[in-house]
Amino acid sequence: MDLLPTPEQEEIIESIRSVLADHHTIGEPASDTLWQAAAAQGWFGLGVPEASGGVGYSVVEEALLAIELGRVAVPGPFLGTILAAHTADATIRESVIGGTSPVALAEAEGDEGGLRVFDATDGGLALRLDDHSLVRLTGLSDEPSLDPLIRLSLSSGEAVASGLDPRRTSVLIAGVLAGIAAAVAEQSVSYGKDREQFGVPIGSFQAIKHRCADMAVRAEAATTQVHYAALALRDATTDADFHVEAAAVIAARAAIDNAEINIQNHGGIGFTLEHSAHRYVTRARVLAAVAGGLRRHQVDLLAANL
Amino acid sequence: MNLDFTPEEEAFRERARTWLAENLPSEDRPAMGQPMREFDLAWQRTLFEGGWAGINWPVEFGGQGLSDIQQMIWYEEFAKADPPFSLNNSCTFVGNNHGGPTLIACGSDDQKATHLPRILRGEAVWCQGFSEPGAGSDLASLSCRAEIDGDELIVTGQKIWTSYADVADYQELLVRTDPQAPKHKGISWVICDMRTPGIDIRPIETMAHTTDFAEVFYDEVRIPLSNVVGQLNDGWRVAMSTLSFERGTAFMADQVELAKVVENLIHEARTRTGADGKRPVIADDELARRLANCRAEVAALRAMTIAGISRTRRSGIPGPEASMIRLFHGELHQRVYRLALDVIGADAFRLTGVDGDGVWTGPYLQSFAYTIGGGTTDIQRNIVAERVLGLPRVK
Repeated sequence: MDLLPTPEQEEIIESIRSVLADHHTIGEPASDTLWQAAAAQGWFGLGVPEASGGVGYSVVEEALLAIELGRVAVPGPFLGTILAAHTADATIRESVIGGTSPVALAEAEGDEGGLRVFDATDGGLALRLDDHSLVRLTGLSDEPSLDPLIRLSLSSGEAVASGLDPRRTSVLIAGVLAGIAAAVAEQSVSYGKDREQFGVPIGSFQAIKHRCADMAVRAEAATTQVHYAALALRDATTDADFHVEAAAVIAARAAIDNAEINIQNHGGIGFTLEHSAHRYVTRARVLAAVAGGLRRHQVDLLAANL
Repeated sequence: MNLDFTPEEEAFRERARTWLAENLPSEDRPAMGQPMREFDLAWQRTLFEGGWAGINWPVEFGGQGLSDIQQMIWYEEFAKADPPFSLNNSCTFVGNNHGGPTLIACGSDDQKATHLPRILRGEAVWCQGFSEPGAGSDLASLSCRAEIDGDELIVTGQKIWTSYADVADYQELLVRTDPQAPKHKGISWVICDMRTPGIDIRPIETMAHTTDFAEVFYDEVRIPLSNVVGQLNDGWRVAMSTLSFERGTAFMADQVELAKVVENLIHEARTRTGADGKRPVIADDELARRLANCRAEVAALRAMTIAGISRTRRSGIPGPEASMIRLFHGELHQRVYRLALDVIGADAFRLTGVDGDGVWTGPYLQSFAYTIGGGTTDIQRNIVAERVLGLPRVK
């Protein structure tokens, strides 16, 4: 029983961080060079068995990747692509792992079979969060998006594959949210050390200090539970569903609470478009609300067997 | 990262489960005084005879020399066995989790030989004497005075918030031995025999109606200098080693119990009729969501505890991150019982004891102590902010 990353997992995290640092700036739109680097590094097939064309790690390493993606609020269809790489359809799988078929996230919109799609590409694929199938998108029309770095569209979709594991989806979304919770905690701590008022760093005041401590605790709780849930899912333990739902609940709350408090800790600068603090708020709000959101996870968690 | 228990750990769990099923007392724990002391010590003796005392104490000091994971497994099996009492309320808590571990870390050979076996065998009860009326959160400003007279200390002053003072044999006592030195440098950690002349114990009744709380007055109490643990005037460092144990594994029993309390509470919410007189309590959306949140949080608390054990295994001592677990745990414990009072409807009017199955109002009243005792959550937040996050210290 051990809940700290192994040396090999530490190396994976380091490598992901260095790729993200080289190709991504928070607040910038999705970049092709990051996408290509991600494909070249094997991110899209990280948890897919080698026999199926993947790197051969597991959902645990995918969760570590998701946490890193959340930490820098990466734009683009990373999550859907990592999840869709587990499809049984070999042709789709190959192009998804290779990065040539980016996969958006989608869910039902209205009663007429329409879809709401996040990070769609025209004519591309999407993973439906409500029935866990893959669809090909047609007739995209864009909507103003709460998170302008996530393309929000209405669309139709035609099923092309089914049978993806919703628990993997929940763990990886929780991973991104835990990453957001941790990143904004660090952002507040760092601002608390740098920003001076009344002649001292504002982080010496208990009002700020205590909020930072609470943020750190929430981030630690969310991250650790995501680790635990990913391990339980990998090992197919009898309580895996419970731990996945617990991770989804705790990470969604941690991300929203921390991201919102982070704005307050930054004062006026936190309210500007230029500062990245709001990016985490909107990203957290979108990811905590997709597929029935926090409320559905709370209901499912109460129903899960322990 | 892995969730695997080793074959030894699995075997340990099996042994613990079997032994607990056969040896757990079935009678209720007396609420106070000598009968309570006898009950707690009898259980400690049973543990000792069964080979379960001091699970993570080193073998050379009479412990079982097992890992923190095994300690956690023990607590999990204890909670599963439906005990009629809580380990966290036992008057053996301070000996097992503060006094004993401090002697192991800082005590002399004589002190270890005298006290450790008696703690493990259930022959001695320890209490704590840290806080004073003028030294709470600012513990280092304590003023209970100890003057050296030959080979003795003469202690005069007052301590407060001492649990089980009336039934204790020994006290871990912090005294000021050098009033001229800076406040952290003039403190000593001494073993005080609670039967020494000059000690006056006055009970303090708590809001949970328990009476094991007390203030202790010292009027020229003579304590042998050989009872100083560590060096004279080095008591602050010794005390901090005690607190690092407290942040490490001391509250694991309560954390494990809390997970069970949440499950019991969910069961209550499913089986009780709610405010509309028709549907179960859990049909109330707000209560259901709060229950789900608590279920998620006790899961995360366990994951954090295991991560903490993993960290300690690598570095040797509990790190300051453990203070995050303390903070999270204290507030979660309180949140759970607040929620309980909202779930149980008319049963919220009826006062219960703090211990036992299906009792809610007593533990609710008791839960206010969880964000005050052992350093308030405000102080815990300072510790997390300053020692873990590196924010500037307040002067």
